[in-house]
Amino acid sequence: MGNRTPSQTIGPFFHVGLKWEDGDKVQFAAAGEKIVLTGCVYDGAGTLIADAMVETWQADPAGKVPGAGAAARAYGYSRAMTATDGRYTIETQMPGACTGPGGEKYAPQVNVTIFARGLLKAVRTRVFVAAVDAVKDDPLARAAGGRVGTLIAARDAKDPKVWHWDVRLQGKDETAFIEF
Amino acid sequence: MSARDAMQIDPPYDSPTYKSTALRAPKQSLIRVAPHPLELAGPTFSRSFAKESEADLTTWGKSAPLGEKMILVGRVLDEDGKPVRNSLLELWQCNSSGRYAHPVDQHNAPLDPNFLGQGKVLTGDNGEYRFVTIKPGAYPWRNHPWAWRPAHIHLSLFGNAYAQRVITQMYFPADPLLAIDPIYNTVPDPAARERMICALDLEQGIEEEALGYRFDIVLGGARATPVGI
Repeated sequence: MGNRTPSQTIGPFFHVGLKWEDGDKVQFAAAGEKIVLTGCVYDGAGTLIADAMVETWQADPAGKVPGAGAAARAYGYSRAMTATDGRYTIETQMPGACTGPGGEKYAPQVNVTIFARGLLKAVRTRVFVAAVDAVKDDPLARAAGGRVGTLIAARDAKDPKVWHWDVRLQGKDETAFIEF
Repeated sequence: MSARDAMQIDPPYDSPTYKSTALRAPKQSLIRVAPHPLELAGPTFSRSFAKESEADLTTWGKSAPLGEKMILVGRVLDEDGKPVRNSLLELWQCNSSGRYAHPVDQHNAPLDPNFLGQGKVLTGDNGEYRFVTIKPGAYPWRNHPWAWRPAHIHLSLFGNAYAQRVITQMYFPADPLLAIDPIYNTVPDPAARERMICALDLEQGIEEEALGYRFDIVLGGARATPVGI
């Protein structure tokens, strides 16, 4: 058995220590196509979760791992906290498609980690910021099977830079989370 | 490490003794998929992201906070015992009377105007870190009758890869509240539970001023074998 330190819940008071200035605005080394990823986090009763922390990590617009760069804050990473409306909003850039070491084709996507009171371990997944038919060959889309619809953000009909993605921790249409 | 072993270390999402899990624990099985290339890499924080002053929680106010001053030292390691260098470690805690500087905390213990309870560091070349703080107090919560959380410090770690990211809590030795704490006891393996308890290490303290404690943190990481389907 491994000797890891176990995970514990973030609890309700994490804002004391984890707020980042402009944490919800992702920084990159170069300019790219600006997008906004936004949505609400719900519990199993359909109630908005007002104390979740949503972190994202993504490729840059060229599909590369964002490097160290000159900024104090890490490139490509964000941290947003939901409030009473249960909503997170992240201003970022469109991640590029990329290829895995075995030639896997990854559609544009954002890696997401969510912490909350009542979550003893973070839930983690990836959300596609792409049209439904553009993700079908992605390894996660294949693994998720019939649940893939929970991982595809919807482009706003009026404002094409905005992508909507809600997270349901439990219940009907529970978001497909990944084993880590 | 197998998924079964991993399940002995981390708490199950659905842990009924901790009531907040009831409507928040996912019920569907987790998707098994090979790591995305970004999960094996991770965000890089520059040293300027954590100012030196942020490692000392006792100098935030106009004068020293109330409570038992303590030095917390330790190393961040991977499962092979290798140091995890230059990694972001964030910390938060309540004050010595068991109250967080947070609007949601309704515990009627006093706030301390000289204590915010927030710190961060980047680990050094040997994975080492050092904080100066005060020992947090225990506090009651509403999980069940007579529920009190044992004294604990919240720790948030990034490691060197996205897959290593973890948030945990550090507890104190010989605390009688550990035995009745639902959150601590959600960790299935007793040995893993005890890895969340720091050790008294007097010589890391400051003579006639502060107690020393040591807490090493071991991060998991990239899954050993890809499980792509």
